[in-house]
Amino acid sequence: MVADFTQQIRDKAKELLEKGTVECVIGYETGSDGFSARPAFIYESAEVERLIFDNTCSHNLVKYLLNKKGKPTAVIVKGCDSRALNLLLSEKQIDRDNIFIIGVVCPGVVEWGWNNHSDQLQIRCNWCRQHNPVIYDFLVGEPVTEGPPDDFADIAAMETKSTEEREAFWREQAEHCVRCYACRQACPGCYCIDCFVEQLDPEWVGIRIAPEENLMWNTIRAFHLAGRCISCNECERVCPVNIPLSLLNRRMEREVLGLFDYRAGMSEDAVAPLITFMKDEKLGIGE
Amino acid sequence: MSADNGPLIIGFLCNWCSYAGADMAGTSRIAYPANIRIIRVPCSGRVDPLLIVKCFEEGADAVLVAGCHPGDCHYNEGNYYSRRRFALLRALLDFMGIEKERFQVKWVSASEGKRFAKIITEFTEDMTKLGARKAS
Amino acid sequence: MSRIGVFVCHCGTNIGGVVNVPEVVEAARHMPLVAYADENKYTCSEVGQASIRDAIREQRLDRVVIASCSPRMHENTFRRTVAAAGLNPYLLEISNIREHCSWVHSDSKDATAKAIDLVSMAVAKVARHESLFPKQVGLTKRALIIGGGITGIQAALDIASAGHEVVLVEKEPSIGGRMSQLDKTFPTLDCSACILTPKMVDVAQHPNITLLTYSEVKEVRGFVGNFEVDILKKAKMVDYVKCTGCGTCWQACPERIPSEFDMGLGSRPAIYIPFAQAVPNKPVIDIANCRYEKYLKWKETEEGPEPPQCRICEGVCPTEAIDRSQKDEIITEKFGAVVVTTGFKTFDHSVYGEYGGGRYPDVISSLELERLMSAAGPTGGEVLRPSDGSHPKNVVFIQCVGSRDDKVGRPYCSKVCCMYTAKHAIMLREHDSEVQCYVFYIDVRAGGKDFEEFARRAQDETGALYLRGRVSQIYQEGKNLKVMGEDSLIGRPVEIEADLVVLATGMEPSDNADLIAQKLNISYNTYNFLIEAHPKLRPVETQTDGIFVAGTCVGPRDIPDCVAHGGAAAAKVVALLSQDSLTTDPLTSIIDPMKCVGCFACKEVCPFNAIEEQITRDKRTIASINESLCKGCGLCIVACRPGAINLRGFTSQQLLSEVLTLVRG
Repeated sequence: MVADFTQQIRDKAKELLEKGTVECVIGYETGSDGFSARPAFIYESAEVERLIFDNTCSHNLVKYLLNKKGKPTAVIVKGCDSRALNLLLSEKQIDRDNIFIIGVVCPGVVEWGWNNHSDQLQIRCNWCRQHNPVIYDFLVGEPVTEGPPDDFADIAAMETKSTEEREAFWREQAEHCVRCYACRQACPGCYCIDCFVEQLDPEWVGIRIAPEENLMWNTIRAFHLAGRCISCNECERVCPVNIPLSLLNRRMEREVLGLFDYRAGMSEDAVAPLITFMKDEKLGIGE
Repeated sequence: MSADNGPLIIGFLCNWCSYAGADMAGTSRIAYPANIRIIRVPCSGRVDPLLIVKCFEEGADAVLVAGCHPGDCHYNEGNYYSRRRFALLRALLDFMGIEKERFQVKWVSASEGKRFAKIITEFTEDMTKLGARKAS
Repeated sequence: MSRIGVFVCHCGTNIGGVVNVPEVVEAARHMPLVAYADENKYTCSEVGQASIRDAIREQRLDRVVIASCSPRMHENTFRRTVAAAGLNPYLLEISNIREHCSWVHSDSKDATAKAIDLVSMAVAKVARHESLFPKQVGLTKRALIIGGGITGIQAALDIASAGHEVVLVEKEPSIGGRMSQLDKTFPTLDCSACILTPKMVDVAQHPNITLLTYSEVKEVRGFVGNFEVDILKKAKMVDYVKCTGCGTCWQACPERIPSEFDMGLGSRPAIYIPFAQAVPNKPVIDIANCRYEKYLKWKETEEGPEPPQCRICEGVCPTEAIDRSQKDEIITEKFGAVVVTTGFKTFDHSVYGEYGGGRYPDVISSLELERLMSAAGPTGGEVLRPSDGSHPKNVVFIQCVGSRDDKVGRPYCSKVCCMYTAKHAIMLREHDSEVQCYVFYIDVRAGGKDFEEFARRAQDETGALYLRGRVSQIYQEGKNLKVMGEDSLIGRPVEIEADLVVLATGMEPSDNADLIAQKLNISYNTYNFLIEAHPKLRPVETQTDGIFVAGTCVGPRDIPDCVAHGGAAAAKVVALLSQDSLTTDPLTSIIDPMKCVGCFACKEVCPFNAIEEQITRDKRTIASINESLCKGCGLCIVACRPGAINLRGFTSQQLLSEVLTLVRG
């Protein structure tokens, strides 16, 4: 069935390129280790045979659309990735008229590494309740029914620790962080020209790789994504020192869902919770 | 402030309501502990989470943001946004090991001098009991 | 390199009695970039201010910190001091070591340590201050008033008499609004038309007022002092220069259409003035209903039966004033201020199935009764039953129809209905001494001047029976209506056979009030009432500078309050227009176009609509600040994730420096 996806994608890509509907199709191809996927940019219809789709297609390709402004482009998105499309549309970073969305009903993505095949589903697939793309022009695969609502068990487990234990946990994680910013680079929600962490004036975060600087980075990034993160978890996947970033992002996701009944990226017209308000809401603050 | 002087509390007070409320505590000569240092801002909506996290990461023991009561904001809506922002920030900081008691948001009007003094007194007592932030 | 001067005030013993001022001065001398530090007994005195001015000159200081009382006290005073010494007034920071220190802490050691911290914060902040310069913008000294009811009329007259040009736009063919439909007004029982029409004529004749009737506002651009408005002037089909208002055409027109002015109880021709005292007293042609206009439309397709080629009006007009070549026209005008006075309409009672759902001709609304009572109305002032034209003898009034009722989405009180029903009871008795009135009420609200006495008159002198209770059902029985209600004060159901039922319908904003509000960028509530800047202290202003609101479009109110409101709005407009230019506060936001990613989160949060779009040279659409509208709240700075926005006077660098001085210093 999934092999069938590859053929459908190749056929569609060929059609789009031949008709001139798009200049480029951003998809996946097999990497040089022979089996794990990597992003592919197809500009010629003769090249569409490079495109594949399998359970190693983990990358969130929506990020690349930020470089394709003004150029008609097709992009392959899984369920989670498609929410990033809505996020960027609502934040006016991409133009709906310039993108052709090939949505794929996601079969789940496996843990993989260089030359290291695994059948174990990535942690994000456990909590995923959006296997069906929320926005698409062409759908590959049959829509599936989702499981029961996410119980955020991973967050609850963290909350059984005391404040001191949590503080110690995150301080240790902060000691590992090397501030490579791979998390930021992979994230479609991080597109600022001059990220706050790069600014010298004011210098919010210094250049030292020290726990307090690293905590400043990770805390504020999680805050800037609050109400915007679509849980593709690419940040955690690309982190070279395996910091559990999903814990931070999902803690905010649960809070936003609980306080504002809001999930990011479900509609291109949605207004993110931090740039709106309800006069009479009670949030446990200030009362 | 060093450990023997008690907690360092940094307060961000909005010019129109809470800063005036603190002034009112002064004109009424109502005493409260001297641990708080007040930074004036035009609106509680001006207080950036970056500033708050910086306070904690640099070793402040507690942070207070005070604004107008919802509905009374001088700029009409500032405190509605700051209310949402700080609800999320407080949850995030608590999750990361900064007790939510250390970060307080209070609505204080320009006439609530007595209440301001009471808030600071209680906050200082609670933070003294909680102890200093772990040194970074 | 900055040269900062620090001046610590004793304020007599207010500060000096608790804080060790010399110790603070000494500590200040060692703070970064401080070139000079000194103390004063009373800094705000002439002596104190002079010492600062002298020090600035002698020590070549370029920034000043004054550690004293609250900046809310003397910041403006010291800004002037500093300016007098030749320094930009914004290169100053006040450190509050009195209200926030010496007055609230008794321990001298603690208070002094705190004062030193507060001064060091101010020094760090002022080092990052920049010279700021308020801007002057010009303004157009003209006012636009949207809505020509009593409120708009009053506002227009007041602004015009102050010497400013006014354009009054009204969508109906005549000004006058709801008040022109009333017969008498409470509590004086003045004839409504008699007190209104002189004002209407004044508006038409005032040299400073341009009256645009049969016109609507289409679009508003710009900001306070500099609005640009597109106004649609609908085609009247009559040349008002030639027309003398003789009335021959509307008396000759054969077409009859239900009259909107008479609430559908009477009719009017297709070429018409809405009522006899209309201003302007010249007609318009209702194109949708004019027989010849329908013929012209038929000629385009020739489908269906051919309408008659009427043209009687053109035939009888003595001055050839009918002009069928007229087209709708859009004009663009500039204004400095806009006043919204779009008024109200009455609640549509047909949603109350229990009251007949609009099916019974003898169940009418209060405004319909006004038309029946009016001498210029459809029945010549005789109160006649719509069903058979007979005089009613038993009239039931039901209060709070479409008010104080959550079920129909109108929980608010419409304020005037208790009073006008009392008026109706009194008037009906005057028309017919045999009439028996019954009023089903919840409360009788008569809060204004002489109102209680008037309401009591209805209850005590007209024989009207006031029954405290609701009506559960009205049904037709033969010629009359059975009204089933309750008298809750005696706890019994009541059944009345009435020949006329009058429903006191509530007030709601006119149609499309929400669309006008959106065009002007002002707020409105769930019921489409426009929202004032502060319900207590700023009742005629809105959050948008230069846009004012008055009258019933803001909330239910009666005529005296509307007139007061209109005058209040006029006073605000006159104050605005009396300036030769507007000074902007320089403590505004500023966007770095290199960093803006065009997400417009800032625009979502700005309470003052001060964020606009601009296109950069490299074709990015990014945000920019309209400094005339920016109030310096700082919400945009925090909404901006890339940190592209900063707030002058409270920059991120300044606030961060205060924090770092405290934690690291």
